[in-house]
Amino acid sequence: MKKNYLYQLKDVSFNYQLGSHQIEAIKNVSMDIPLQKLITLTGPSGSGKSSLLNLLGLIEPIQQGSIFFQGEELSLMSQSQQNLIRKFQIGFIFQQFHLIPVFTVEENVAFFLARQGLANAEIKKRTKESLEAVKLWEHRQKKPNELSGGQRQRVAIARALAKKPNVIIGDEPTASLDQKTGREIMDIFKHLASEHSVSIILTTHDPMVQSYAEKSFHLVDGILKN
Amino acid sequence: MVLFLSFMNLFRNFRRTLAILLTVALGTGVLFSFKGFIHGVLNQYKESTIHAHYGHGQINTKNYRENIYAEPWKHWINNFSEINHYLTQQSEVVSIFPRVSLPALLKSGNTAISGAGQGIDATKESHFFHGLRIASGEPLTNQENGILLGIGLAKALGVKPNDSLTLLATSVDGAISEATFIVAGISETGSLDFDNRMFRVQLQAAQSLLKTDNVESIALGLKSDKEWNHFAQAFESHFPQLETTSFAVLDKVYYQHSVDWLHAQFKVIQLIILSIVLLGIFNSVSASVLERKQEIGNFRANGESVFDVMRLITFEGVFLGFLGGIIGITLTYIVMITFLNNGILMPPGPGLTRPFYISFEFEWHMVYVSLGLSTLAAFVASFFAGLRVANMPIAKALRSI
Repeated sequence: MKKNYLYQLKDVSFNYQLGSHQIEAIKNVSMDIPLQKLITLTGPSGSGKSSLLNLLGLIEPIQQGSIFFQGEELSLMSQSQQNLIRKFQIGFIFQQFHLIPVFTVEENVAFFLARQGLANAEIKKRTKESLEAVKLWEHRQKKPNELSGGQRQRVAIARALAKKPNVIIGDEPTASLDQKTGREIMDIFKHLASEHSVSIILTTHDPMVQSYAEKSFHLVDGILKN
Repeated sequence: MVLFLSFMNLFRNFRRTLAILLTVALGTGVLFSFKGFIHGVLNQYKESTIHAHYGHGQINTKNYRENIYAEPWKHWINNFSEINHYLTQQSEVVSIFPRVSLPALLKSGNTAISGAGQGIDATKESHFFHGLRIASGEPLTNQENGILLGIGLAKALGVKPNDSLTLLATSVDGAISEATFIVAGISETGSLDFDNRMFRVQLQAAQSLLKTDNVESIALGLKSDKEWNHFAQAFESHFPQLETTSFAVLDKVYYQHSVDWLHAQFKVIQLIILSIVLLGIFNSVSASVLERKQEIGNFRANGESVFDVMRLITFEGVFLGFLGGIIGITLTYIVMITFLNNGILMPPGPGLTRPFYISFEFEWHMVYVSLGLSTLAAFVASFFAGLRVANMPIAKALRSI
């Protein structure tokens, strides 16, 4: 598999159990995701885009088919190898932000850097840079509950960015924000993809978000449509 | 940073943290006070036993207690003055009680009954021993020709306090000696066999009847029972022909067996308390952990391993257990030394005649054990609560409400 692709998927299928029913969320999807682009996964609700994103983020197990991350097949990796990829190479941004409520903005960003084992000086440097990138440095001492929804999402972006990952994965990161704030967030993503050489993969069904995409994949009922 | 986060998590939901802390504090407080009362019961029981009859221990000639002799007085202690001199030099020795046994025939009018008596230093013993309940008359103290009778023996002889009776005993040279005594008091221990045969006279009167200066045994009162082993070792190396026996061995049937029996009971109750505490903490910690599935999913999504997440959760549990334990111990201690300072009245223990107050008794090891158990319980509870969430598929944890 080629290393010049971020991800390559070969005949990937994914099912999940809903009560007594088995739902086919992804059906034989094969795709190549290029490096350093802002990419969107679109489709109506229930089309499988979140399931696909979870597979790319290594937070769902690969059931069928092969997924290659920068040329390495994920299903052949151990749990600890997958943990390391998630720790160092993937940044996550969730619709619900998932900030740590007892930490300040600065501590939220610094926490996963400390968990990467970085030196204090490096943690401080990266925290400052990433909070400045999302224009939240002056709010660094605030707790998440003192911020607006847009500001919280920017903290989540700063947290993902500070890890200096190869890819940032976002599951409808603007869905809980108003259009103006959503646009501000998308401007940040666009800037990250172009200036920081980070690949961004977002799920959305918002046309505004789609308008920022350099490449887009469309899913319907778990099937990839061009 | 994980430690810091674990600590900070204690403050994220004040009411929940307070509820867990109170659960732990209550459980630890119960354990701590229970241990304090066990300690109190056992100590009071021990003290009552020591002051009932044997003192802290007894001195005899070597192997005297294990053997039955046709002429036991030949194996009595013949150098009491020397031993007494040594004992008075020992800082841990508070009281010395030389004793002889005096089998004798007691005669009142036409009635004659054999009894198992003892010659004692009654004045000294009356200050130290309080195991005998005086049913009528007064205790034997300094009455030169006084005699204290067991209630059954007094009844059989038909005597009451201030009546006189005659004692006939075989002296060490085989002759019959006789002396008249005045009944000072009648005692009751509750043991029928003992009360039917027991009498006590002054040591000198008994020695005079037996025509000997020797003593059979020397009971001792020490400053504390903890000093017994050290004392016994030094004594036996100084007097190798003598041996020492602690009260626990002398009173094995009642004291040691009762203590073993109480210990076994306490262990079961302690286990029940510990199980309740464990369930209480598990319930509270589980609720706390299960509420945070999304957050834990986020940690896992960011590369934290199951071990890392478990460490975070168990640190929280340990903090809660330790903090709750300290609160519980402190509050319980305050309650014990204020509201329950006078203790609780207990009925007489096995082999004892007097009721006694058990009070809470503090010892540092109770703090370590209670605190250790509460922390361990919180650790175990958080471990099992965390295991379920940490092993949950990441996406499922993130989707949780």
